[in-house]
Amino acid sequence: MSRKPLDYSINLHLGASKRKMSMDIWILLSVLILSLFGVSMIYSASQSIEMAMRQSIYLFLGFSLLILISFSNYRKMEPFYLYCYWPGLFFLILVLIFPSENSETKRWIDFGIFTFQPSELMRFLIPLSASAFLSRKPLVSNFDYLTVFVFTILATYFVLLQPDLGTSLIVLLSGLIPILLGGLSWVLISLGVFSVFLSLPVIWFSLYEYQQQRIITLFNPEADIYGSGWNIAQSKIAIGSGGTFGKGYLNGSQSQLNFIPESHSDFIFAVISEEFGLLGVLFLFVMYGLLIYRLFLISINHQNRFAKILSATLSMILLAYISINICMVIGLLPVVGMPLPFVSQGGTALIINLVTIGIILSLRRET
Amino acid sequence: MKGKDFLSGQNILKRIFFLLIPFGILLFLAFLQIVNLMIFQSEKFITQADSNRILKEKVFPPRGLIYDTNDQIIVNNFIRQDLVLTPNFIDNHSEYLSFISELLDVEKNVLENIFYEKLSEIKPFQSFTLLRNLNDEQLAKFKLNSNKLPGTEIIPSFSRNILFGESIGSTIGYLGFASKQNILNNPKLRNFNDQQIGLTGIENEFDEELRGIPGYRFSEKDVNGNVLEVLDTEPSMKGKNIKLSIDIELQESLYREFEGRKGALIAIEPDTGLIRAMISSPSYDPNYFNNLNFEEIKLILNNENSPLFNRAISGQYPPASTLKPFIGLVALEENIISWKDKILDEGEFFVEGDDRPYRGWKEGGHGEVDMEKAIAESSDVYFYNIAFDLTITSISPFLEKFGFGKSSELFINENNGILPNKKWKLGQQGEFWFKGDTINMAIGQGFILATPLQIALAYCALINGGELLTPRIVESIGGENTKSSSKKIVLKDKKNLDYIQDALIAVVESNTGTANNIYDSELRIAGKTGTAQVKSILDDKKYQEIRENILLRDHALFVGYGPIENPNLVVVAIVENGESGSLVAAPIVKKAIDFFQKNE
Repeated sequence: MSRKPLDYSINLHLGASKRKMSMDIWILLSVLILSLFGVSMIYSASQSIEMAMRQSIYLFLGFSLLILISFSNYRKMEPFYLYCYWPGLFFLILVLIFPSENSETKRWIDFGIFTFQPSELMRFLIPLSASAFLSRKPLVSNFDYLTVFVFTILATYFVLLQPDLGTSLIVLLSGLIPILLGGLSWVLISLGVFSVFLSLPVIWFSLYEYQQQRIITLFNPEADIYGSGWNIAQSKIAIGSGGTFGKGYLNGSQSQLNFIPESHSDFIFAVISEEFGLLGVLFLFVMYGLLIYRLFLISINHQNRFAKILSATLSMILLAYISINICMVIGLLPVVGMPLPFVSQGGTALIINLVTIGIILSLRRET
Repeated sequence: MKGKDFLSGQNILKRIFFLLIPFGILLFLAFLQIVNLMIFQSEKFITQADSNRILKEKVFPPRGLIYDTNDQIIVNNFIRQDLVLTPNFIDNHSEYLSFISELLDVEKNVLENIFYEKLSEIKPFQSFTLLRNLNDEQLAKFKLNSNKLPGTEIIPSFSRNILFGESIGSTIGYLGFASKQNILNNPKLRNFNDQQIGLTGIENEFDEELRGIPGYRFSEKDVNGNVLEVLDTEPSMKGKNIKLSIDIELQESLYREFEGRKGALIAIEPDTGLIRAMISSPSYDPNYFNNLNFEEIKLILNNENSPLFNRAISGQYPPASTLKPFIGLVALEENIISWKDKILDEGEFFVEGDDRPYRGWKEGGHGEVDMEKAIAESSDVYFYNIAFDLTITSISPFLEKFGFGKSSELFINENNGILPNKKWKLGQQGEFWFKGDTINMAIGQGFILATPLQIALAYCALINGGELLTPRIVESIGGENTKSSSKKIVLKDKKNLDYIQDALIAVVESNTGTANNIYDSELRIAGKTGTAQVKSILDDKKYQEIRENILLRDHALFVGYGPIENPNLVVVAIVENGESGSLVAAPIVKKAIDFFQKNE
């Protein structure tokens, strides 16, 4: 067994035809429309041309990367994917030592002209590494799953230290999904779920007070309207007052009068709802639906184990972001730092999401 | 068995669908909640959103106050009432403007111009000022009808008020609205786009310090934009107070001396560079600009004596005979002549190959003169003679050391004057430098021009041992004192400065001195007269003709300092078309020095 890793990366049906899937125009279109919609909503929410311009530049960069990566050969990239966990971990440690001084949390590294969020990178690198690791040989032992699990927990822990509850959950998911898809036995899965339930009290008491507060807030936002529930209450007013057709672009009083916190980033869904109403929300859902559907189609149709796990994991992470962000803004989940993919302001997230799409598109090649 | 299990594509697919279930549930619930919020509860939330308008509005601090050196207040602010509106609360703009127009008796097209211009500039839910400084009648009418005027408020703001009007107006300057260009050039002004900022004078020079930092007011407003409650304020930071070095009493009394004639005066301390009086006459009252009194502003703009022009720093005059001490000093430094050397002045000077004489101002001349007498009696022929032996390449750099030809950078609109040299003439006039140009320059005529401030600074350097001062008009900003600074002028022989000072004393104290008329044994003053030709004249007959036209009469100059025992003030006075430096300008200078001693 001293062959190079990944030599065994296995096609599920060895006899499958080597057809080459064509570029998926629906994915490109929906991503582009969502991102451009995002830029215009960022302008409305922030009233800052500079911010919208900066996002456009990130969009241009990210989209160029997307196109470039979509033409790469994933079979040749697999060795890099296997080890890319390590630079990710390096940046996670670096951000704890040299955090940007503009923020109270240690989430960003400041490179002068731009800031960069290592946790966003990590939730993208873990699926790459884990999928490659769990596909490198035909037989996967329970020890391999444990290895992936331990390294995922390590990364999650570093993100929790920043502290960033939302992203740490996503980082955790990004490692758990490959394990689950890879074929960990149902018995072990059940055991794991059971032990998580047992450890919930422990987790609760290890949360920061403001994180606990957010979870409490969730269940009764109106109780203290100017206190911790204020954000959710205002966000709900914004969404509800949007009605069917919305108040019009740049005309949402809740958004324009700064009622909505972080309106250009995590709460941008509230701005969209207020200004474009239910129609705008449906439009957003259709766009996301189209994108997610086409992404999963690649995973479903693929014959290679690595590609199948990876594309499903990456798509699922995007889906997790979308559903958690929306549920949080409408008051179904606690407020955690989690942007709406492609739409929210934030350079690292946008570029990583676009690169994610690029990688999934690169998997469509059969070689 | 295991291996087979893990390899199965079907197996992975099943697990994908299994994992999708929780997200599906989440999104389904989200969709239900959104429909619930937007359809079933939307009316409740629309009401909440309307009732729930917390507006963040800028609150501007009063501008910093301006004091004189004796802490007498010169510029303060008074509260006025402005009509401020938020267009988002107004349904029908045209109807609204008609109503306001009739109610407050303001022409509708005036209102429309302001309204639509501002409307295009502001962001949603921002407010702007439609009318400023409402009078009592307008205020009363507004209060009676305020329920018909949604989104409209009367907000107090500050008006700038100059207490000593004209006398210090051109030094203080006026306020106006920042233009788009202003804001582009200085992004810090973006916060002040609807506010008056300093456009000229001290108000402009120290605008950033004076204007302070705006704060914010968060207030809850109802659907009609009426303030229900002020929830929170972020205090503004008041502008810094400025203490000028100007002595306002001195300033006022000297301004009166000009009696509306065109002219300028600078009084400056030769040790510190502090300016005690700065006068440009005629001046104007900045209050007209600050309070937007357009009729008066029109009169000021159309006044042919250009009162907005600050002659003390921007007026460029031939220094005339006041330049002679510096020419004498170069000659001594260059060993062209010695202090005691005598030259015969018969009233005319001829250059070989040129038939035209260079004439002195006194017919028949001053006879045998040495430098002291030449300065005291202002012999032109003496200086023609030494200029003949000097070159422009030695004169210009020397005068540059005394600050000629370059703005002192006290004010942004200060002029540089002209310090000509060969290159300058070739570039400006397209001609080579002639000997005659040097000869003309020796008596401060020809191409050379200087501002009153430059002349004052040059004389300060003559009497303070060769320090070219950086002038100051501000003693302290926000309680922090400004510092004096100067540049050392290197001279070959310091004794030469004493000689020149002796000559300047003789101007007043010698019986034949040109300013002997202001001699006073109680208050000994030294100085130099000057008569700047507006038009060069060739013979007496023409001179009389020219005198008929007041605007072509000579400018009267005097630079004086005193008391001689320990000079604490250098004063330059220029009276345009005043003809006689000794009779018109010198008494003003004497008065300035006298007043300053008594006020000290």
